[in-house]
Amino acid sequence: MKKRRLSALALAGIAMLPTLSFLTGCASESEIVLRVYNWEEYIDEGGEDSWDGDADAPDMITRFETWYEEQYGTPIRVEYTTFGTNEDMYNQLKLGNEYDLLCPSEYMIMKLAAEDYLQPYTEDFFDPSVEENYYIRNVSPYIREMFESNRINKEDPDDTSTWSDYAAGYMWGVTGFIYNTEYVDAEDLPALGWEIMTDTAYNNRVTTKDNVRDSYFVALAILYKDEIAALDPSAEDYTQKLAEIMNRTDDETIEKVEEVMREIDENIYSYETDTGKADIVSGKIWLNFAWSGDAVYAMDLAEEEDGVDLNFFIPEECANLWFDGWVMPKGANTQAAQAFVNFLSMPENAIRNMYYIGYSGVIAGDEVFDYICETYAVDPEEYESEEEFLANTTVYDLSYFFTEDGEYDEAYTFYADLEQATSRQLYAHYPPEVVTHRCAVMDYYGEEANENINELWSRIKGETLETWAIVVICVGIALVVAIVLLVKYGGKIDFFRLPPKKGYRRVSQEDIKDYEK
Amino acid sequence: MRLRFSRKTLGIPYAVFLLFFVIIPMLVILFYAFTDNEMHLSFENFIRFFSDPTKLSTIVYSLVIALITTAVCLLIAYPVAYILARSKMKKKFVILLLFVTPMWINFVLRVNAIRELLSWIGLLGEANYFNTIFGMVYDFLPFMILPLYTTLLKIDESLYEASADLGGNAFTTFTRITLPLSMPGIASGITMVFLPSMTNYVVSDMLGNSMVTIIGKFIYEYFGTNWHMGSMVALILLIVVFLSTWLTGGFKEENTVRGANI
Repeated sequence: MKKRRLSALALAGIAMLPTLSFLTGCASESEIVLRVYNWEEYIDEGGEDSWDGDADAPDMITRFETWYEEQYGTPIRVEYTTFGTNEDMYNQLKLGNEYDLLCPSEYMIMKLAAEDYLQPYTEDFFDPSVEENYYIRNVSPYIREMFESNRINKEDPDDTSTWSDYAAGYMWGVTGFIYNTEYVDAEDLPALGWEIMTDTAYNNRVTTKDNVRDSYFVALAILYKDEIAALDPSAEDYTQKLAEIMNRTDDETIEKVEEVMREIDENIYSYETDTGKADIVSGKIWLNFAWSGDAVYAMDLAEEEDGVDLNFFIPEECANLWFDGWVMPKGANTQAAQAFVNFLSMPENAIRNMYYIGYSGVIAGDEVFDYICETYAVDPEEYESEEEFLANTTVYDLSYFFTEDGEYDEAYTFYADLEQATSRQLYAHYPPEVVTHRCAVMDYYGEEANENINELWSRIKGETLETWAIVVICVGIALVVAIVLLVKYGGKIDFFRLPPKKGYRRVSQEDIKDYEK
Repeated sequence: MRLRFSRKTLGIPYAVFLLFFVIIPMLVILFYAFTDNEMHLSFENFIRFFSDPTKLSTIVYSLVIALITTAVCLLIAYPVAYILARSKMKKKFVILLLFVTPMWINFVLRVNAIRELLSWIGLLGEANYFNTIFGMVYDFLPFMILPLYTTLLKIDESLYEASADLGGNAFTTFTRITLPLSMPGIASGITMVFLPSMTNYVVSDMLGNSMVTIIGKFIYEYFGTNWHMGSMVALILLIVVFLSTWLTGGFKEENTVRGANI
């Protein structure tokens, strides 16, 4: 009876399935679904903090859905999910979750490409004559050049495809230090460079990132400081040579890096991913190794709270240039995904996103330049005299980012506050060419090197005990276990029982069992 | 149709739950622990774990941190539970509630608050191991108090009277009556504190400034890069926990019943 009822229930369930799928099928036939997987808080989410400052301001996703339907006549629904680390995203993809558009960092894009997860952008995406191709029409020539000149899959020598074949840029930035001007003398920093991290003057006052790649980069920069300094920045192969040094993963390098990392480990206040911003604003630490976007955020916050005075410093020898880009996994809906990238690349939307998340977008164009001017350009009339104006301002040149050939163009320069241009938000937001020229991109190290570096990281982060200490503690624990076992079960084993008093006889375990029966 | 369910039918959802959320995940961990990247059978991770002084040191450190946390929790919780259980106060549940209320507040918020507190005292960044243990004791104390309180409450008053009647002083009464009868509570308290304090790396990250690495953090980091090694570490932790539960008698039926009374 029971069985029949169950199978009846099961049958009813099966009978329901087609109806259910019919219901959902109904919805998906009439509208397109675009599955976007992005970083947390990495898009304009509307509301009061957005560009409009209006509580009802729609978020970027809603804007896109409206725009897409107007543009292409088909309703679209965006399934927007977020991740916290590149590795989380990779795991989700590996587990078989399907997406149309992902936004990983440069090295993860290279790893995905090496493992054949990605689908290239279609040719018509790169046609600047089409009105809707906002990405190719607006992307900064500087970023485009970089995307076109770097091979995506360095594992396979036959694969000559570049980043631009598989990825469209979204946000970019550099790494450096946020520092508290009260305790840190800006004049000390250039001579130290990345050695700030190991300098005992900042013992317990400097933090680093709790991730292996950023820490490895810093250690490399310290290790090869002299070699980097010997390079000639005006040489044609400067960028390649620098990139080669900053991507070394041979055994000898790893061995030496381990020593540097240990030195850093002993000198720093903490490894952090999030707490650093709060710690530097509250004055707990003096120096915080930070991504440029976070630096802008921290400096803004410090200004608002009127507490500490924070500046940003990018080591002169070399800094890490990173970017996050949109890639499509195999099987993605290329039309909708590319439309999404193009929509985000409309200057208006690029500005909205930049304003909301605080990082620098890859989109150039006059609207973006106007936005930068609006934020950072100074008004000569605010100064009392011309001398004062000249003494406190400087011409800030962003031609490298905005012009087609990267040559100087007066149209892309403006007067900026001297402090802004050398150590504050503007400097972090859009670093001058002299900084970006000295930047290196960290590649995907390849599977084997990756494994070695992760092991190195676990050796640095893990606890270290002398072998004898491990043995002693293990023996100690074993002893405790033995004693507990003895107390518990000792009474049941004749060997461990006390000898009987005179005139008594020991009851054996068999006797007890017989008695219990 | 009248719906009547026998016990067996009612048990099915639980069996399905256990299968999908307990047994299969464990098998998956086992599978990943003993395979390599090509999914071939491999003992490499096992050998690598036990030949790497860092990993052994880390697990030993975690064990020590967890042991200290458990011991401190027990030392603080036992008197509290004893006093509360034996007091004749009318509204003693209010006091008990006060010990438990922190559990109602979001965990991350609490840890952040402790972080600020430690920073204010000036300990943050100075004594990372102490801070970690402090945070864990604060966090897990309710899990120790509650089972102890319920077991101590259940001890029949007449047993104390009998002990006094037969000439037992306070010490003898405690060692011969209270302690042995509260053993089940101690055991379940230990199990509930010991395991999470080996893996709760949020505390060690926030309060130990990520300078303290416990085994849970290791597992987390490996699952970003190498699932096989991560599974192996998780499996070894599982064995350690299994052993400690077995030692404290956590598998005995009466104990689990009492522990479940919270």
